[in-house]
Amino acid sequence: MMDLLQLRRKRSGSFWGGIVPYFGYVLQSGVAVLFLFCLIAFAAWYTAFVRDLPAGLPIRWIALVLLAPFAIGGGFRTYLQPADIVFLLPQEARMNRYFAPAWRGAVIRKYVILAILLITFWPLYITAEDQAKPFGWTALVLAAWSIVASLGSWRELTFVSRRAAAGYRLLRWAAGALAVAAWLWHPAGRALLFIVVLAAAYLAALRLPPRLRVPWEILIAAEKNHAARAMTVLGWFVEVPGREQRVHVRRWLSGLGSRIPWEPAQVYRYLLTKSFVRSDMFMIVLRAGVVGAALAYLGGQNLLGSVVYLFFVFVIGVQLSELRRVHSESFWLSLYPVPAGRRKDNAVRLIFRIQLWYAVLMWLVFIPSLLGGQPLQAVYMLAGGLAIAFLQRVYGKRSRKGEEEDE
Amino acid sequence: MTQSPVLEIEALSGGYNLNRPVLHDIGMKVMPGEMVGLIGLNGAGKSTTMKHILGLMNPQKGEIRVNGATRARDLEQYQGALAFVPETPLLYEEMTVREHLEFTARAYGVERGDYEARAAELSRLFRMEEKMDSLSVHLSKGMKQKVMIMCAFVARPKLYIIDEPFLGLDPLGIRSLLDFMVKLRGEGASILLSSHILSTIENYCDRFVILHQGRIITQGTLEEIAAAAGMQGQPLEQIFYSLVQDGRS
Repeated sequence: MMDLLQLRRKRSGSFWGGIVPYFGYVLQSGVAVLFLFCLIAFAAWYTAFVRDLPAGLPIRWIALVLLAPFAIGGGFRTYLQPADIVFLLPQEARMNRYFAPAWRGAVIRKYVILAILLITFWPLYITAEDQAKPFGWTALVLAAWSIVASLGSWRELTFVSRRAAAGYRLLRWAAGALAVAAWLWHPAGRALLFIVVLAAAYLAALRLPPRLRVPWEILIAAEKNHAARAMTVLGWFVEVPGREQRVHVRRWLSGLGSRIPWEPAQVYRYLLTKSFVRSDMFMIVLRAGVVGAALAYLGGQNLLGSVVYLFFVFVIGVQLSELRRVHSESFWLSLYPVPAGRRKDNAVRLIFRIQLWYAVLMWLVFIPSLLGGQPLQAVYMLAGGLAIAFLQRVYGKRSRKGEEEDE
Repeated sequence: MTQSPVLEIEALSGGYNLNRPVLHDIGMKVMPGEMVGLIGLNGAGKSTTMKHILGLMNPQKGEIRVNGATRARDLEQYQGALAFVPETPLLYEEMTVREHLEFTARAYGVERGDYEARAAELSRLFRMEEKMDSLSVHLSKGMKQKVMIMCAFVARPKLYIIDEPFLGLDPLGIRSLLDFMVKLRGEGASILLSSHILSTIENYCDRFVILHQGRIITQGTLEEIAAAAGMQGQPLEQIFYSLVQDGRS
């Protein structure tokens, strides 16, 4: 009889065996130093912030926003492969053995993240909150709810109807947010009672929709996404071959790229634009832009705000540089009559344009400075952002020299 | 005036390993307005021949000319003169059907107006109107194959290299494809078509090239290969069966 636990162990080992060797390169890429620097900077800022808290800090809302997502979200690593639909299907009745480690792994992962977050957040919480809940009970409530949410998340995968799954996903987030909020806002006893009743109602509701015993196709697609995401994160720091990208429909952006000049020399730009707007990268860059602009604004019209702005323009450029690898080995581009040597030019130009847009849009947070008597500072900021984009463009052109010769 | 062949292969030998070539001394031509069937058993060398024509493999010996150009001397003219339909659809997951057609039209330098007219005609012909704005990742296998075919046809090059186009197509799709190929041939396009559905291509191809174990064992019109095999009046399938069973070369 097939040893399903052994099979999963082998697959997990194989996946991590493919990832771990890159860690050395990630550290060499300066990430460790940057991480350490960020950690020290954060610790210094956090200590000073807790020591001198601003009045009226909405600490319960901050706690809710920080803690609830980690108690509610999370996914499962199953390491399932497309061929499993054929070869593991006969084992369907025994697949619980295969999935058990995925379950354990998901819950443990959530616990570790929650623990780190809670320990880090606790000094701020007890300083700002007049009626702080006990640490142990808070940890227990979050741990218990993360199990309930994991169960819900797994059930959603097994629902026959994808519409029901989407509805229940919404329900999971709503119920989770409500439970954490109840714990933060209300007296412990009453909150606990409410959370127990809410959990019971939620778990009962999970039994209603019809389910598949093993949702093969959904799990395989989810696994593909998880693996792609892990490789995407790794790809921020090192060159990772053969990564699969997730695709998002985003009909509202389908018009982008249509105005690119209609000529063979620009066809790679057309392809890259379409790939970009439907990739994970699009949202990553958008988030970075929004967060960067918000932090730059909160940092104020001073040195801190300026550093944050320039840092995020740089980070967006680094993230966009990933685009250069997209379709670098495209079958059709090697076959179609596309003028040789235009790919690098197309990619660098597209990356530069997007980065330029972000540099300008994020700079808008300095408008108050422009209008408020510090116009030079605002102009310097914009010049700095544009200079970073130009420098990264020059670097992009140089670093692609060797690759271009291979086209 | 004598017409020049659109595809001309001379003494081609090639394969994945220098010491063990898959193709041996292949020589064939496809003339303007001609549809040629490339047939053979699995592993006979059909796909390898096509890969050499496409430039995905380099010949160990011999030369391939498309519209008079070689890849070495004039790559853009060579590539611009041919379009390929692979056996397995190869699509960009992040592009819609319409965007694939537009991407191809842009790459081949098709005028925007021509592209729009051709895209509308092809989507109607292959009953893909409702799927034009769907991402390729959401299409069935047969629809993906239709997109591959539509991409090749939107480009309108002089030569089409079509590898097992009927796989995954529904009967109406097969009929549409055959009709369209006949129309293109009538307009002067040339087609090199590989298929195992001999009974179908028998009625559509002008000539046949039969490959066996990397060598051309016979080529010509149905009457010519029937005469060469001593099987006049027999269907292509019977002739082919007899030739490869005998292992003639």
